[in-house]
Amino acid sequence: MKKYLLRRILHGLVSIFLVVAIVMIMIYSWLDREVIFASDPQFSKMSNNQQVVYKYRNWQNYGYVDFLQYSDYLQMLANNGEIDEETRKAAFSFGRKPENDSEIVTEYIQKFEAYCKENGYTVQRLNAIVAGARKTLAPGGAQQLFAYRNRSLLQRLWTYFSGLVQIDNIHAVEDEEIGERKLTFTWYDPVYGGKKFSPAVMGNGTKHKYLLYCDSSFPFIHQNMLSLSLGKSYSVNKDKDVFTTMTRSQGGYVPSLITYPTGLVENSADDLHSATYVAGSLGSSDVNQERFTDNYTNVETVRKNMSRMGYSFTIGIIATLCAYLIAIPLGIWVSLRKDKLADKIGTCYIVFITAVPALCYILIFKAIGALSGLPTIFDMEKESTNKLMFVLPIVSLALPQIANLLRWLRRYMIDQMNSDYVKFARSGGLSEGEIFSKHVLKNAIIPIVQGIPASILAAMVGAFMTERVYTVPGMGGLLINAITAYDNGVIVGVTLFYATISVTSMILGDVMMSLVDPRINFTAKAR
Amino acid sequence: MENKNELFAIEGYTNEELFSRMDHNDLESEKITAPRYSYWKSVFRVFFHKKINIFILFVLALVLIFTYVYPALVDYNPNANLMDSTSKHLSPSDAMAKFGSSLSWVLGSGASGQPTFDAIWNGARISLSLALVCALINITIGVLLGAVWGFSKKLDLIMNEVVNIVGNVPTELLIAVLVLILSPGFWTMVLAITATGWLFIAYFIRTQVIIIRDREYNLASRCLGTPITRIATKNILPFMTSVIVTQVAIIIPSYISYEVFLSYIGMGISDMSLGRLINAAQSSMLTPGWGIEFWSPVLVSAVLTVILYVAGQNLGDASDPRTHM
Repeated sequence: MKKYLLRRILHGLVSIFLVVAIVMIMIYSWLDREVIFASDPQFSKMSNNQQVVYKYRNWQNYGYVDFLQYSDYLQMLANNGEIDEETRKAAFSFGRKPENDSEIVTEYIQKFEAYCKENGYTVQRLNAIVAGARKTLAPGGAQQLFAYRNRSLLQRLWTYFSGLVQIDNIHAVEDEEIGERKLTFTWYDPVYGGKKFSPAVMGNGTKHKYLLYCDSSFPFIHQNMLSLSLGKSYSVNKDKDVFTTMTRSQGGYVPSLITYPTGLVENSADDLHSATYVAGSLGSSDVNQERFTDNYTNVETVRKNMSRMGYSFTIGIIATLCAYLIAIPLGIWVSLRKDKLADKIGTCYIVFITAVPALCYILIFKAIGALSGLPTIFDMEKESTNKLMFVLPIVSLALPQIANLLRWLRRYMIDQMNSDYVKFARSGGLSEGEIFSKHVLKNAIIPIVQGIPASILAAMVGAFMTERVYTVPGMGGLLINAITAYDNGVIVGVTLFYATISVTSMILGDVMMSLVDPRINFTAKAR
Repeated sequence: MENKNELFAIEGYTNEELFSRMDHNDLESEKITAPRYSYWKSVFRVFFHKKINIFILFVLALVLIFTYVYPALVDYNPNANLMDSTSKHLSPSDAMAKFGSSLSWVLGSGASGQPTFDAIWNGARISLSLALVCALINITIGVLLGAVWGFSKKLDLIMNEVVNIVGNVPTELLIAVLVLILSPGFWTMVLAITATGWLFIAYFIRTQVIIIRDREYNLASRCLGTPITRIATKNILPFMTSVIVTQVAIIIPSYISYEVFLSYIGMGISDMSLGRLINAAQSSMLTPGWGIEFWSPVLVSAVLTVILYVAGQNLGDASDPRTHM
């Protein structure tokens, strides 16, 4: 069994890898790259050459191309010690047109072109765009010289998967002025004023200041050492990782009295445990100098509502639980009264859910709910006072699940009841109740059990239509929103997440089934 | 019995006249005489035996007439009253008072002054055509490939992985990509739905084939040397008819639902299909007096899908030979 499971998991991993590869081909090679700027307000404000450079810079940030500007090339030469600062400055400003270049500039531009050719870059020089009779530069019309290189799929896949799990270490920050790189352990966390007993591991040189800390929220001990990075968002949640978008709490700020490293006590929603390093941020801002003693100034805020995944999971898991609790007894009851009124009503309901478009029945449920006075719009601000908001989304999610379970349970039950061994048991004198509970139910429930892990994990993924109709801030809309906004990092990240969930639930389902039914053995050779 | 020939003798005829010699024929000798049984005749006998099915067929015919014949008869122009602000969002009675009492106005008028009734049936025509074309393509490819898949162990290994992979690539992404590369037209949508849709039907058929493939009667048939193609077409395909019909009954409504879903998220086709109508009339849902604009396409799509589903299911039940006794 272990060997079989290992093989299944390996197969699953290969599938996930290929899924990500296919999605990457689709969005990076088939889609027009310009579409990612469609919903970028900054892009539309720019014009001419500036816009072109902005495009390439963003394409580099979001994994399309490698981008090298002439000035960066000169800086690189200077850093390597190949040229001195004076030559760099002399070669730095190139002309509006190639004809206007000075000798030294021409020399270095040739070197740049040679370097680019060697490394597979394509050089592009944009002449200055002038406007009017006085030959002033048009807005964003300054001359540009840069080179770009398309990334290959393999390169992209390698970068993506190698950066998937990030381990924070004391060499994570590249800044030279960091001071001594080290880890420190304290029994008394300075966030709580340094007097309360609360162990913490802090780092200098690491990305996060706090690597391990305790607080009063579940699961009490938290870590920042391992982090997942599924893909950076371009427009859905700008510059944030998809995983952060899924798991970060939302809603209004929750201020509390906190002690900053300088000793300043203030009523603020800052979460000091989330501090990350930003080079040079201490010196550049008075606000930071008042509060912090080092460059670990980028903090998250404490918010009062659940994360996207939290909402989806809460609603989904309650709905799933209700569905199983209702559908299983109902399925048994209905199949015991085959072809009677209860069975016919049940069948009508199943037909309704199967045939009618999901959007239609969700809207019908919403209308019925509105008539009975339930809130139809989910509002995070009122969540703590009005739990009734959860009712309609849960009901809308549970009702189709009930129909689905009911259909299969009824099918399996009736098939079992017609089988020969049941007739034999009856002729052997077993009572109907005994036959039913000991044989029919046990056999009919096996395929149902297989679906349990899938339905629990599916709760995490969220339900797109239900969440949209009731405006629940959950996970469901993430993928669709990313696709409509062409937010490629998010698409890849969410696809990876979904694929992992689906592969896991299939494996877990088979494991559950073999646990419940000892006859099922995946390791035995097929006949 | 002294003479066997006497038993068959008929006066006035010689043996040569009455009997002729037959050569031995392998194929003929395999035939077993059975009571006359016509499969399709039995299917329809069982189908029409239930009175409810006649009613369902009647409703289905009515719906189909409205979907395909009615739009061809009336001259529907969604922008005819675009400039006339008094013709928008009219209730049925107001619309009939304004435009005369014709069938077009029984559901009032919509946001651009178009008759809701005509708009719905035009939308239904597009949605149903999309579903039918997609179902035809997917079922044809799916059944043929699924049959081969079920018999070939090598293909099974590869295709199972393919299903695992393709099943996890979001369909919406494929649609978004195709719509951007091509255009959001009818045939693009057909391409998007059929590009991966056949795979899952083939997978379903493959599972069914595997279940039946190793039954005793097929094992016996194989032992007697029947070629695989004959087992597939003569032994297995008849068994699968009811399964295929049931599958068709499920997928046609599911494609209509999917089209509604796609329009809802703004990825649908450019024509005014049922989904687009529902999506466009969403704001009318909450406005008092305009609710009919929203609920009528919802109800029509519900009726359309339910009636197709029930008719298909019952035909599927009737095409199962076990119900022919």
